[in-house]
Amino acid sequence: MKNSTVFAFGLAAALATTGPAFADKLDDIIASGTLRCAVVLDFPPMGARDENNNAIGFDVDYCNDLAAALGVTAEIVETPFPERIPALMSGRVDVGVASTSDTLERAKTVGMSIPYFAFEMAVTANEQSGIKSFEDMKGKTVGATAGTFEAIALEKQVKEWGEGEFRPYQTQADVFLALSQGQIDATVSTSTVAQSNVKSGKFSGISVVGKAPFDIDYVALFANREEYGLLNYLNLFVNQQVRTGRYAELYEKWVGGELPDLTISGVYR
Amino acid sequence: MFNYTFHWNQAFKALPQMLDGAVVTLQIALLSMAIGLACAIALTLFRLSGNRILGGFATAWVEVARNTPALFQIYMAHFGLGNFGIHLSPYVALLAGIAFNNAGYLAENFRGALKAIPDTQTRSARSLGMTSMQAFGYIVLPQMLRIAFLPATNQMIWAILMTSLGVTVGMNTDLAGVTQALNAVSFRTFEFFALAAVIYYVIAKIVTLAARLFAARMFRY
Repeated sequence: MKNSTVFAFGLAAALATTGPAFADKLDDIIASGTLRCAVVLDFPPMGARDENNNAIGFDVDYCNDLAAALGVTAEIVETPFPERIPALMSGRVDVGVASTSDTLERAKTVGMSIPYFAFEMAVTANEQSGIKSFEDMKGKTVGATAGTFEAIALEKQVKEWGEGEFRPYQTQADVFLALSQGQIDATVSTSTVAQSNVKSGKFSGISVVGKAPFDIDYVALFANREEYGLLNYLNLFVNQQVRTGRYAELYEKWVGGELPDLTISGVYR
Repeated sequence: MFNYTFHWNQAFKALPQMLDGAVVTLQIALLSMAIGLACAIALTLFRLSGNRILGGFATAWVEVARNTPALFQIYMAHFGLGNFGIHLSPYVALLAGIAFNNAGYLAENFRGALKAIPDTQTRSARSLGMTSMQAFGYIVLPQMLRIAFLPATNQMIWAILMTSLGVTVGMNTDLAGVTQALNAVSFRTFEFFALAAVIYYVIAKIVTLAARLFAARMFRY
């Protein structure tokens, strides 16, 4: 009898002291009523601004869907590519919906969900450079957006070729400006970005000349590495988006064409 | 709220690359100072010449260099000139932008230094039979450089720090560029940036000390 009272007191004390510590990020988001997403708004059609300066794009819609699923309101926090991680680490955002490639190197720092989108890489060249394929870029001056999957891959390729020059620009717009001016001869970007920029008519004298033989760039949502509750939720959310057809719907809305498969045959994630 | 575990060993592994970048940074800063000094002396002469066109040119240069952001100047050297088909590589654009900025500030330093040298010195030199160029070259210029020397070291430090703006025009070999590239691959932002900050600090400190030593040796009375 006495023992059980002590035990009950002990249990009550333990619950009282450790209780709040169990509130994880997922609880915090639901309790705060706001989901803050890091989104890159210089990366059409994934993230961009319309004429009224509103955030639009695939990633913006995706964040809104996630917030709706959580029953909270979404807040889009614009983060350029290099600032995605500092924004997460300093607690300015809860989750990244920012077309982030899920490399092993990065997974040492942040927690990645299962892929929610996949990019194929395309070569866009200045028409005067005479570049007709990926191989033609050897020995030329090429550029890409600093901090992206394709920039890392392209820089490695230029080093492998041992000739030519690689230039990382801070934004996608700067890359296409430099390409259009002839400062660089070609760039590798996601095919969606390439098509969107060539079609936009803002950059003259450039055209998409072919595919780049890089691996398919699977991109993931990211959150703090130790937030398993949140990461688990994100995985299920991505799965549900595909299952319910919302992924296909958003793809048709923003990109169009053949829907990229998010699974890899022969292996589990 | 700061939720981050530091992996310093990963950053230290990249130290040799970053030090190579630091060499490029220092190289650009030194070159930009040399070019900036030459241009600033020319601008000072233009202003003293009394010629309207040359004086106006010098004033316009100084006004733009001092009253617009260095970022804008470097961006214009790359993308602005690029619009007219003049293609400067990131290295040259960065160098040109900083040299332009340096020249503007140094010209103002020189103007201040000139005001500290009494007119009577020029007149005495002229009355001794020197031409106006000789009076400037032998009497005024050495004193002007001496007075302006320590303020000019400020500009040198500023030039070192400004090289980090090169990343906006695709520069990837200087310290800031190397740091950005390392960060993109691994996302270890805080380690690499902290290390870069320390390297910038050390370079700036060494330059300051060297300038003091140099001044103490050269400008003894």
